[in-house]
Amino acid sequence: MTDAVEFDRVSRHFGTVRAVDEVTLTIAESSFFAMLGPSGSGKTTCLRLISGFERPSSGHVRIFGAQSDDLPPNRRPVNTVFQDYALFPHLNVRDNVAYGLMVRGVDKRARHAAAEEMLALVKLEGYGDRKPAQLSGGQRQRVALARALVNKPKVLLLDEPLGALDLKLREAMQDELKALQQRLGITFVFVTHDQGEALSMADKVAVFNDGRIVQIGSPEEIYQRPRTRFVADFVGSANVLPPEFCASVGAPKTWASLRAEVIGLTAPGAGRIDGTVAGRRYLGPVNRVTVMAGGTALSVDLPASAAAPEPGASVGLTWDEGALHRMEEG
Amino acid sequence: MAALARLTDPLSDLFWRRPRVLLVLLLAPPLLWLVVVYIGSLAALLVQSFFSIDEFTGLIKHEFTLKTYAELFRPANFDIVIRTTVMAAAVTIAAAIISFPIAYYAARYARGRMKAFFYLAVMLPLWSSYLVKVYAWKLILAKEGILTWAVDGIGASAVLNAILALPVIGGNSLSVSYIGTFLVFLYVWLPYMILPLQASLERVPQNLLEASDDLGASRRQTLRHVILPMAMPGMIAGSIFTFSLTLGDYIIPQIVGSSRNFIGQAVYAHQGTAGNIPLAAAFAVVPIVIMGFYLWVAKRKGAFDAL
Repeated sequence: MTDAVEFDRVSRHFGTVRAVDEVTLTIAESSFFAMLGPSGSGKTTCLRLISGFERPSSGHVRIFGAQSDDLPPNRRPVNTVFQDYALFPHLNVRDNVAYGLMVRGVDKRARHAAAEEMLALVKLEGYGDRKPAQLSGGQRQRVALARALVNKPKVLLLDEPLGALDLKLREAMQDELKALQQRLGITFVFVTHDQGEALSMADKVAVFNDGRIVQIGSPEEIYQRPRTRFVADFVGSANVLPPEFCASVGAPKTWASLRAEVIGLTAPGAGRIDGTVAGRRYLGPVNRVTVMAGGTALSVDLPASAAAPEPGASVGLTWDEGALHRMEEG
Repeated sequence: MAALARLTDPLSDLFWRRPRVLLVLLLAPPLLWLVVVYIGSLAALLVQSFFSIDEFTGLIKHEFTLKTYAELFRPANFDIVIRTTVMAAAVTIAAAIISFPIAYYAARYARGRMKAFFYLAVMLPLWSSYLVKVYAWKLILAKEGILTWAVDGIGASAVLNAILALPVIGGNSLSVSYIGTFLVFLYVWLPYMILPLQASLERVPQNLLEASDDLGASRRQTLRHVILPMAMPGMIAGSIFTFSLTLGDYIIPQIVGSSRNFIGQAVYAHQGTAGNIPLAAAFAVVPIVIMGFYLWVAKRKGAFDAL
């Protein structure tokens, strides 16, 4: 299988700031690829290196094997769904969607037909005559999606596509985007700072920090086996345990992660380490109990059906031998 | 203090309960000004234009008639209307063309000091007296003026002479030709085009240009399909200034130009020495009608869609 996008030791510097620092990565064709990281980590710059709005300071970006460094954005086989949608306010929805075809010289009837088809795909039939200002946030997002897809791009770039939507709509759009990607078979590359979004939609996730990729892998790998402390912290899936804590429970003296749902509570003295319950939060499916043990606060998720200890109680903590996952400091 | 509060509290309570009362109180003075002085005088003007003048006595006959408007269409008068309208259109188009790159630079590229310099450079000419500027231009454009001298200096007097030899718009020197009038109008009204245009270009978000680029548009296509339509309301606002100011001005064509009358001069002459107030009023109605028609066409053509 060809690689849709390939970064070969790509750097992008702004003055003395290394926004992207020697990034090498490949994005497989027809995959759903997420670039995850905090703001300023270089993920958006990477997206703009693919769309052509930024040029590498060094290294090369290849799109379907073709060197793209000297191609301007308007001649790349990629299209972008912009963060705030960037719909043209003076054009109606139909003309917004047909814009890419219009500038390519497709005649009016053909491009309007194609636009209607795309609007049907994103479930916006009959909205063609409206202006963007008359649409809700979710509808604008769909128009932006249709406007990009009508050009049949080889790679679709999505810049924080769901950031401006409310929670419920966001979850519905996650499913829809995923379904759309599978149906069209186009490579989707999307940038987000929301780990839930990245893990639930992507086939592969690259976690960015300080202009570098810290870990690249499937959502399961990222979630269950974070490579570094940063990934564990950022993905937020697990308790991050310092080396001293690990040594005190008889494990090697390194940083480690331990997921909240694999820890069990038992009587004091019966577990691997003893602690005191510091607090309790009801989260619906589980009770999240915070236990202070060995100078570290650990989250323990107990099924909501099980009795949760009161704050102040002494407890013992247990977990399976292999549950403690070793990590690099990073 | 307490006594004052006893007086004002019921009042502020009233305003809180009925916000409309406060609104009416605040709006009444400016609305009175607008309706009585502004619209009122316009209405008076309109009424005057439907009266006529008795040719023997020179007195105004206060009877409704369209005779005065018919007089507007006499060749001598109608020439004035056409001449003024063509000049206003030419000035407006030239101002839009010259202003666009300046406004675009100021809106998209100028930052900090450059931006301050831009505003200063555009506004500075407005700080000096209009009359001084017009007379300065008369000297610049005169036969013995600095422009002729400079053109001679670079050996291009043949070009200048060829331009002056053009029929109708040429003349003895630039200062007594339509070209001269045009140049001075253009200079004097240019800031009124640049500023609104710059304001509207500033409101075009950068990501719309990127979106256009991303969707495959060339720079020229982005200009035509995104930037120009979005700058249109600003351009229309600017053109209202340049067009209507040119239509109404009576000083510039009197000082610089071919001594043929423009509408403003006709109004001045008829309400003054000739004492023909009805015809002066009818002349004054012409720019109003033209502007109304212009805005109507602009609206129909979708010039305000980006608002």
